[in-house]
Amino acid sequence: MMGGILLLPIIVAVIYREIDTIPFFLIGASLAFILGSLLNHFLETKKEMELKHAVVMVAVGWLLAPVLASIPIWLSNATASYLHASFESLSGFTGTGLTVATDIDHLSHSINFLRHFLQFVGDGIGIIVVSLSILGKTKISSVLAFKGEAKELGIRPSIVRTSRIIIGIAITFLIVGTILFAAAGIKEGLNPGTAIFDGLNHSMTGYATGGFSTRSQNLLFYHSVWVEVAAIVTMIIGALNFNLHYAILGGKRKEILKNIEVRILFFSLLALGFLVSANLIFSNLYTSPDSLFRKGIFHVISGQTTTGFQTAPPQHFMLLWPVFSMIVISIAMILGGCANSTSGGIKMVRIGILFKSIVREVRQTLLPRSAVVRGTFHNIEDTPITDTMIKGAAVIAMGYIVLFTFGTMITVAHGYSVESSMFETSSALGNVGLSSGITSPSMPFVVEVTYMFLMWAGKLEIIAVLVLMGFIILGLRKGIKK
Amino acid sequence: MALRKFSILAFLKKNFDFITGVLGEIGLTVLIMGAALAICLLLVFVKSVI
Amino acid sequence: MVAILLLLIVPLARAESGQALIENSASFDGKTVTFTGEVIGVLMRDNYAWVNILDNEVAIGVWCSAEDARKVTVIGDYRHGGDTVEAIGTFRMADPEQGGDLDIRADNFTVVAVGQELSRSPSLPLVTFSVVLMIVAIFVAIFLRHIRKEKERIVPWPFH
Repeated sequence: MMGGILLLPIIVAVIYREIDTIPFFLIGASLAFILGSLLNHFLETKKEMELKHAVVMVAVGWLLAPVLASIPIWLSNATASYLHASFESLSGFTGTGLTVATDIDHLSHSINFLRHFLQFVGDGIGIIVVSLSILGKTKISSVLAFKGEAKELGIRPSIVRTSRIIIGIAITFLIVGTILFAAAGIKEGLNPGTAIFDGLNHSMTGYATGGFSTRSQNLLFYHSVWVEVAAIVTMIIGALNFNLHYAILGGKRKEILKNIEVRILFFSLLALGFLVSANLIFSNLYTSPDSLFRKGIFHVISGQTTTGFQTAPPQHFMLLWPVFSMIVISIAMILGGCANSTSGGIKMVRIGILFKSIVREVRQTLLPRSAVVRGTFHNIEDTPITDTMIKGAAVIAMGYIVLFTFGTMITVAHGYSVESSMFETSSALGNVGLSSGITSPSMPFVVEVTYMFLMWAGKLEIIAVLVLMGFIILGLRKGIKK
Repeated sequence: MALRKFSILAFLKKNFDFITGVLGEIGLTVLIMGAALAICLLLVFVKSVI
Repeated sequence: MVAILLLLIVPLARAESGQALIENSASFDGKTVTFTGEVIGVLMRDNYAWVNILDNEVAIGVWCSAEDARKVTVIGDYRHGGDTVEAIGTFRMADPEQGGDLDIRADNFTVVAVGQELSRSPSLPLVTFSVVLMIVAIFVAIFLRHIRKEKERIVPWPFH
């Protein structure tokens, strides 16, 4: 499947007559086919697959896929080294959007398309979902692999049908986003061909809440409120739950406002947006309503939806923006979007569950002992809050906090300020992509590898990574005992 | 001509939920942007008064 | 003699680097700067235009007249090195008239050097290697599939 993904940019190369880039994709695709054939041959088993195997398979798959995708990026000299190419590829697949590419403005259309397409396929849809849709195998292993990719969707009984619906939803909003971006681009002075190419790519990364851009200035290149509005539309839509999309597109329009995640997202965006905007205006950095909206609100939305589109130079976050605003945006990035969406972070449903559990505990304490306090939340349907749910949410939240602390400490140890380290770490862990300037081709090796680990762990919501580590440790122990 | 009109109507009717769903989601984002812009206007007003 | 004195009095315009402008935005804010670099984008807006200029990995938008923007003939991309232009104007780290964008409001805009086409010819060794590798990949896939089918024929599942 990776081979197929790496062949697709050849179409773009032909359209733009970038024939010199075609060998890069052929080499990447060939290696993917060879590796895939060998793995399929030597690792195939008829034994029953358990959940732990599926989770490990997904975790390893999410490492191998970026390694393969990094080959054309490295061959094209888009990055200074193979490590940078791997970082770029992993940032693409995980929908992070932190970039170490050099000279983005002179990249070929085909390589640029690949960077954006990786985000759409890897994060916007999910490589396991794409595999299931194309291969169409409905076995227990498929179900388990689907769950292993941190997708707990029950849209349709058949996992293959669910996967195809996810792709259908993604393509729908890809088309909508492309139209919005292209129309904005043409209105703001781009020629139609450029507007459509940029529009398609930004729609892919906006819906995937990835944040890669075809320009080194990111969305600041366009100096356009209409492009930013198009970006906000795609970012928020990308941050919504797939189940919610399915319900709304199927006629349940009331879900738009009834859904707990939408309500929390709405409240969170406005509350954090207010805090950042207030901080910016009273620091006299941005003083007009449109600049508060286009800088303050925009970056809160970009952060919380974990997209990473930027309309300010990265260095400005570190050097000009007040510390309070950076901390608020860091919090927004950790909170993240809705569950079962393209967003990263802890996710709104978990925040909602944890918040409601606190309310439940307080009420339980205040009421007589014999009273039983039940909590529910509405997420497509009314769901009672169980102790298992609370435990699950708390474990993930704790995992995020531990990794966030680890990443921040590593970054601070390399001489960066605390607020910039927090900002960049939460960006990598939440698969966001907003940068304060730490992520660059000249970033320290240890910091780069740390962020690669955080992007990978954040994408798989930590548990899969821990299961893989446990699997390896158990395997080693068994080996030592023998 | 009458036939072409009929098929467009039929298409819209058949996909009514889908189309209104997409518009509804875009509407949600517009609502969020509108509320955010109102916050920005309020802040500028408060700053001008202080 | 007078000319030399005049030259000493009039401060020489030295181009600021993009890096310096971004990293010291607060100190340059509101001041007249000279910025030179390659054009990577032109967006016409009625009587005005945005010209994005790239200087060594840092790009800054210049707000100038449409007439000035029309002087640009080559925009930098994969196949072209864009025109090198020099813009002299007021630097704004958060221009309130442009939605808070970082920009330079150009009073003077000159094309210093016309852009040129970049050579992007395919590398013959790489082309050869890619074709050979693709053939190998197809062969490996077919060969392993053949082995698997033979295995299933000789020892039917579930006795593998």
